[in-house]
Amino acid sequence: MSALGHYLEEEGIPTIAIALVRPQAERTRPPRALWVPFELGRPFGPPNDPAFQKQVILAALRLLEAKAGGPVLLADFPEDDPREAPDPRWRPPLDAKASGEPLADALITEVAALAAPYTQSCAERGRTTVGLGSLGPAAAAEYVAAWLRGLPPDSPVADLSPILCLRFAVDDLKAYALEAAITSDTRPSSRQLGDWLWNESATGAAIRDLRRQLADSADDRAKLIATMFLVPGLRVTPGG
Amino acid sequence: MRLEKLPAAQAERYATLECPDFETTPWVEGPPLAGRRVSIVSSAGLVVRGERPFRGREADYRVIPETTPPDQLLCSHISINFDRTGFQEDWSVIFPLDRLRELAAEGTIGSVAATHYSFMGATDPREMEGAARAVAARLKQDNVDAVLLPPV
Repeated sequence: MSALGHYLEEEGIPTIAIALVRPQAERTRPPRALWVPFELGRPFGPPNDPAFQKQVILAALRLLEAKAGGPVLLADFPEDDPREAPDPRWRPPLDAKASGEPLADALITEVAALAAPYTQSCAERGRTTVGLGSLGPAAAAEYVAAWLRGLPPDSPVADLSPILCLRFAVDDLKAYALEAAITSDTRPSSRQLGDWLWNESATGAAIRDLRRQLADSADDRAKLIATMFLVPGLRVTPGG
Repeated sequence: MRLEKLPAAQAERYATLECPDFETTPWVEGPPLAGRRVSIVSSAGLVVRGERPFRGREADYRVIPETTPPDQLLCSHISINFDRTGFQEDWSVIFPLDRLRELAAEGTIGSVAATHYSFMGATDPREMEGAARAVAARLKQDNVDAVLLPPV
């Protein structure tokens, strides 16, 4: 981020910041910054597009060679992320079906059903980003389900409060479902994946319901974590 | 990010977020790119699997050795309001170590640093000053003379 550039440069190290929010770079005034038009979370643009990513990095690094323009240099990267466009070939990892089950049960059922596409997806990519919590997807689903049933369990993880354990369990369940939806033969946009998670999946519905329940909690910390760190702001609906 | 694509209220929040007001304007030059040693200092709350994730607006940093395999890097930034599917599909979207290696192999940059770093970008930058200066000392020990600073 832009402020780090200021400190590092003061210590004698040349820096180039990528800026996603241009007005912030304009006000922080780091020595050098390249504004990129990509969505938050994608400072180097599209996934699996090494040529495009390299263009961004080179545009940034070349600013290090600029002799003129300093001590505050802010440039713009001209191209948009081609992966913002949806891929009509992409399909959700599971067929939508209304089960009529309580959400806690539907969550556990869905997490089990996602195991096959998740495993396939991880094998294709050779990695997973699940693992901030230490429960694993099935145990994370059970843990979240217990909260949904109104019976907040003790934290099964030493050194983690129950509400923090819940936050990491939710982080991991979101990553698990989204990774299950990523396949090597399609190029979905983040919006396509998010629309499925938040509008169609049991995982998304369960997390929304959890947010609604805990938003009324008498525990201020639980209330804060529920309202700020479970459902993205743009996905919060009037009902929660 | 194109703020005009966001709902007006959210765009306004991003545009007016409080930023530190620095009195100095440091500017250090270096050799041509082909002679530079490049390190990544990310503010994405990255952690190597098994290390303690960032839990809040913490001002310390994590070390990411150059030898870290892609399946060992996790993102523990506390904000949930940015896309994670790009990183889930390809770590280079946030942490372009593979691209730097390619640039070094083709001679565009001199070399890739032995160590990279991550902060938690939601922390007040002024609280990170001490840790940032400590990272600077470590970068100098590694002879780094170019730092790429990606946010999320």
